[in-house]
Amino acid sequence: MEAALAAMAAHTLILSPPHISSNPHHPPPLLRSSSSFLNGPSLKLPRQSLTFSLSAKPLTIVSAAKKAVVVLKGTSSVEGVATLTQEENGPTTVNVRITGLTPGPHGFHLHEYGDTTNGCISTGAHFNPTKMTHGAPEDEVRHAGDLGNIVANADGVAEATIVDSQIPLTGPNAVIGRALVVHELEDDLGKGGHELSLTTGNAGGRLACGVVGLTPV
Amino acid sequence: MAFLRSVATTTTAIAASALPAAIAFSSLSSSQSSQVPKTKNLSLLSFAPNPTPTRFGLVKNFADKPSVLHMDAPTSDTKATSQGDAVLPELLTEYMVDMKCEGCVNAVKNKLQTVNGIKNVEVDLSNQVVRILGSTPVKTMTEALEQTGRKARLIGQGVPEDFLISAAVAEFKGPEIFGVARLAQVNMELARIEANFSGLSPGKHGWSINEFGDLTRGAASTGKVFNPVNEGKAEKPLGDLGTLSADEKGEAIFSGIKENLRIADLIGRSIVIYGTEDKSDPGVTAAVVARSAGVGENYKKICTCDGTTIWESSDTDFAISKV
Repeated sequence: MEAALAAMAAHTLILSPPHISSNPHHPPPLLRSSSSFLNGPSLKLPRQSLTFSLSAKPLTIVSAAKKAVVVLKGTSSVEGVATLTQEENGPTTVNVRITGLTPGPHGFHLHEYGDTTNGCISTGAHFNPTKMTHGAPEDEVRHAGDLGNIVANADGVAEATIVDSQIPLTGPNAVIGRALVVHELEDDLGKGGHELSLTTGNAGGRLACGVVGLTPV
Repeated sequence: MAFLRSVATTTTAIAASALPAAIAFSSLSSSQSSQVPKTKNLSLLSFAPNPTPTRFGLVKNFADKPSVLHMDAPTSDTKATSQGDAVLPELLTEYMVDMKCEGCVNAVKNKLQTVNGIKNVEVDLSNQVVRILGSTPVKTMTEALEQTGRKARLIGQGVPEDFLISAAVAEFKGPEIFGVARLAQVNMELARIEANFSGLSPGKHGWSINEFGDLTRGAASTGKVFNPVNEGKAEKPLGDLGTLSADEKGEAIFSGIKENLRIADLIGRSIVIYGTEDKSDPGVTAAVVARSAGVGENYKKICTCDGTTIWESSDTDFAISKV
C-alpha cells in the first residue's frame, strides 16, 4: 500500500488521490452525526468535481517540486530558515538554522496545517497521517511531523541537518503548505511520562513558526 | 448546482443605503448566471454605480474605475475578480463560537438569520461549532457572530471530501503590512478569495499568486506570477489577482472569485502585494499559501503545547524566548 501510494505520488501528480485521512485527532461530528444539514435541499455540492479531479490533466504544482524552504518567525528574536530537499523517492533532508534561542534542546515539529490565524490551534496537531502517538524521529511509532529536537549552542544558534523519510515533498502526504514550529522546551520524544508526552512531547509554547513553501530546485 | 443559485445572493456588508443598487445587480446576475461557470459574461464587476460613500475605500475606488478587469473578461480565462461588495458563490464556513447553552444557540441562529446571504445554519453545541452555508463574506459573518457578544473563530472553509484541499490561507505578518487572504474551493472551476490588509500605502496595488513560496528574500524570491503552462492561452497569468485599493488609512478589503483556480495547485506558493498597480516593482510584501482546515477537519479547542484556548489564541501568541 505504501509503495503504491509512493508510486502514485511520484508519477501521476494528481490532485485528489483517494482520500487519505490526515485528520486523526477527531471525527468530523457534523458530517457524521448530523444529517439534517447535509441532506437539506440547499446543499447539493457539485459532485462532478470529484471525477473531474481524478481525470484532470497532470498538475504542475505541489507535486512537481523537490525543494522547499521555510522562513520561521515569531514575535521574539527567534528566527531562522529551513530548507527541505528530496531526491526522487528518497528521504527528505532538512537543513535548519535558527537563532535567538535559549541554549539547549527545543522541540521541532511539523504541524498539519500552515494556518496560524488562530495561533497554534489552527495549525492542527502534529502532522500525523498514519495516526500514531508522539515519538522520536527514529521511532516506529511517531507522528510524521515529529522531527525531534534541535539543540541551540551557547550563542542561541541551532543548526541541524535532519534526514527523514516521513516528510515527503510530493504526494498526498507532502509537507508543502504545512507549518514548521520550533518550541520553547525540549521534546521528551514521548518518553517523559507527562500527560502531554504522547501528544506533543511536552515541548511548551511555540517560539517561531513558518509555512513550508516551494522554491526553485 | 447549488452555487448557481447562490450567485444571485448579494452579500453587501455596507449600510442599508447601498442595498437598492446591490439588489438590482443581484437580479441581473441571476439571469446572466444560468450558464455558470461556462459563461464569460458573468462579470461581477459590472456594478450599478454605487454612490454610497462608505468607510470602505474600495467601494469608492471601484466606482471610479469599474471596468479595468471587466474588459478582459471576454478573452481571458482568468478574469473575474471583484472587490468590495461582491457577490460571492455559496460556501460552507465553520466557526467555533463560545456558546454554552441552548439559549446561546438560539441567539446565534437568530442573529445569523438576519444576515444577508446566509442560507442555512447548523449548530453543534457540544463542539461549540456553527456551520454556515451561504454567500456572505467571512468578515460579515464574523462581525455578526461577535455582535451576539460571543467570541467567534473561523475554523474551516469548504468541503474537504470534495477537494482534499478545500481551503488555504496566506497570512501577512508585518512588520508594516498585516493581513489575511483566504482561498476556498467552491467547485473545481471556481475559488473564492477574501482578504483584508492594513499598513498599505494608500492607492492601488497590484497583487498576485506567485510561483514560489520562498520568503528568504521577501517578495523578491517568490518568482513570477503563477501561470501553469497548460493554461498559457490566457492573456493574463492565472495567478494575477488584479488590483487592491487601499484607502487613506492604508486598509484594503477584497472579496471575489477566480475561475480555474484550484487551491491544491497553490499550496506552498505565495501571494504577493506590489507597491504599484502594474507590478513593476519587486513587491512590498509576500506570504506563503498555507493549508487550512476544511469544515469538520479541525475541532481543536486548546493548544496542547501550552494550554492556550482558542478564545485566547491569536496569530501572535508566541512564547517569548528567554535569552
